[in-house]
Amino acid sequence: MSGLFGTVWIALGGLQAQQAGLQTSTNNVANLNTPGYSRQRPILQEADPIISGNVAFGAGVRVQGIESLRNSLLDLQISGETQQQSSSQAFVNAMNQVQTLFPDDTTGIGAQISVFFQSLNSLSANPSDLTLRQSVLTAAGNMSSAFNDTANQLTQTRQQLDLQVQQQTQQVNQITQQIADLNLKLAQLSSTGQNYASFLDQRSALIQQLSGLIDVSQINDGKSLTLTTKGGVPLVVDGQSYSLSTAADSSGTQHIYSAQGDDITSALSGGSLGGILQARDQTIPALQTNLDSLASGLVQALNEAHQEGTDLNGDPGGNLFQPITGAGAAAAMSVAISDPALLAAGSDGTSGSNGNIANLSAVANKAVANGLTPSGAYGNLVFQVGSGISSGNTELAASNAMLQQLQQQQASTSGVSLDEEASNLLLYQRAYQASAEAISAVNQMLQVVINMGAGS
Amino acid sequence: MRISPTLTQVVLSALNISDQAEQTALQQMTTGRRVNQASDDPSAAASEVNIAYQMDTCDQYLRSISSLESEMQTADSSLNSAVTALQSAISLGVQGANGTLSQQNRATIAQQVDGISQQIMGVANLSYNGHYVFAGTASAQPPYVADPSVPGGIAYQGNDNVNSVQIETGQSVAANQPGSALFSAPGANVFQALSDLSAALRDPNATTDDIGDATTELRTAYDQLGEGRAFYGNTIDQLISVQGFLNSEQVQLSQQQNSTVGVDANVAATNLTNAEQARTATVQAAASLSGVSLMDYLSPTNV
Repeated sequence: MSGLFGTVWIALGGLQAQQAGLQTSTNNVANLNTPGYSRQRPILQEADPIISGNVAFGAGVRVQGIESLRNSLLDLQISGETQQQSSSQAFVNAMNQVQTLFPDDTTGIGAQISVFFQSLNSLSANPSDLTLRQSVLTAAGNMSSAFNDTANQLTQTRQQLDLQVQQQTQQVNQITQQIADLNLKLAQLSSTGQNYASFLDQRSALIQQLSGLIDVSQINDGKSLTLTTKGGVPLVVDGQSYSLSTAADSSGTQHIYSAQGDDITSALSGGSLGGILQARDQTIPALQTNLDSLASGLVQALNEAHQEGTDLNGDPGGNLFQPITGAGAAAAMSVAISDPALLAAGSDGTSGSNGNIANLSAVANKAVANGLTPSGAYGNLVFQVGSGISSGNTELAASNAMLQQLQQQQASTSGVSLDEEASNLLLYQRAYQASAEAISAVNQMLQVVINMGAGS
Repeated sequence: MRISPTLTQVVLSALNISDQAEQTALQQMTTGRRVNQASDDPSAAASEVNIAYQMDTCDQYLRSISSLESEMQTADSSLNSAVTALQSAISLGVQGANGTLSQQNRATIAQQVDGISQQIMGVANLSYNGHYVFAGTASAQPPYVADPSVPGGIAYQGNDNVNSVQIETGQSVAANQPGSALFSAPGANVFQALSDLSAALRDPNATTDDIGDATTELRTAYDQLGEGRAFYGNTIDQLISVQGFLNSEQVQLSQQQNSTVGVDANVAATNLTNAEQARTATVQAAASLSGVSLMDYLSPTNV
């Protein structure tokens, strides 16, 4: 037995433990809405007993430390799903802009192709009419403009995505720098055995942010943390971060380079950079290729048909459109003639003949690109854009649901509950009061002992 | 098991989903379309490109038919007047073959025959919308001109070519009948027959048989013109029938379009109501969640 003074020490330990509890709970409540915060709790332990003869008396409570409740496996899963989700979201955002360029109804390339062939049919009823001839040329010009506009806007969309690639690479660098700094701090703190839970929370939040931007693999052996891309390019190794850089190639497209100077653009798949790169380097170029082959196929077929005919002056027809081929064809499409008399509608050299309009009109039902008619090839483009976004949306919805579930799971471990903290506060408060009461009781008893001496 | 204490995210995401559903339903309701962008249903959007193209083409065929029809009707009624004039020329020929007539009377009849020739030439040089209808494809010039060097005195300077106009997928019609098949067919030349009749009537040495022969020649030309004119009547009939077909095809295409990308108004309204209800329910649930925790019950008096 340690006597009355020993009892005071036990009560004092109780006061300290309950105070630690109160402080932790208060801290939890204060961080109720802090992103990335994991709730903490004091680790309380019984003090070593005092052995007196055959009896072991409890010696009160000791505060071992403060622990932070987090599930690092869930952190990893959330990081993985965030990469997926951000990638889908960025892809869908980029492609939604593209989608408006390929309407399926009364505007855009499809409608202009239709108007052009209609104008030919109108002309066939009165082939020498200059107004009708002019309207064929106007329709041909509008069709060219529609191809030009769509092609230019696709290029512009890619340029906007280039800008995003640059900005987001910079963000990646900022975050990896911060993570490396935190790694240094954590290494120092853990060697001195101090409480570093809040730095872990910060680092975990930064890794989630990073996962939103780029694909990330983590190697965490408990002491040091290494972050790489899925392709193994180092981003952070312990206290050292490795900056990525961007540079434009000859066509102006931004590529991403590792700190070692390797081009890693095509190896990135996750995070918003992954989605942006997928749209910029795969989906949009595929659309551009198909658009160009439609433009050049259509122009070639119409030019061939046009050359079979004779114009209003009886001369053989030349090119109706400027010949175009290969990449950039759609952007370069333009009508070659401006004089309606030069439209080769006839087949026998007379001004009243419409014999060649049938040849020109037949192009509407001819395979001009990838085995498809002009209108069919355009329909295919609409399908291509739509199905890309549609599957992106499906992936996004799945990722969102998955991510939400994971976040709920994480919150069930790490989230701060006001109910819980309220009951903890109540318990700590009561226990504190009780310990204080014990000190006061000992005090009274000591008073009795002192009075004993004074009174006799 | 510990339950996740933060429901904000769940609520937000539920609100997001019901917002989206409401927006979609509202858009379907206001546009009447199920497919408002290609990603809503990519294959339906691609089909719509095709359907819209067919509908536009259908409209165009109908426009061409109506412009062709009015030209043909003009041609047909002009030819009708030429036929009537030829009939009276034949009557004049029969009248002129009457042996009791004086030479002076015949000369007067001959003048009337010349007048008819002029009148028919006017018909043969009919111009419509800036082109000559009976000139074949050489339609920039009047097809018939006075030319004393040819028999009959009127030369054809058009050609024998025929334009064709597409009026339906895979179907075209001839758009004109050249003068050479109507007025100046070999062996049935209207102008030569009229000129022969006029000459026979003026010739004091001509017998009534000669006049009768000229009238017979005129009858042959008359028959030829009548046959040629039938082309216009037949084509107009064909145009009208194709018009009817195209009109019903338009209806069919628009039904097809509606079933591909359209939305049933009742379905859209129900969707909207459902989405609105779901949203209201989520909002109400969210509102009832807010606030209350054990903290509220820990007042100083309780402690």
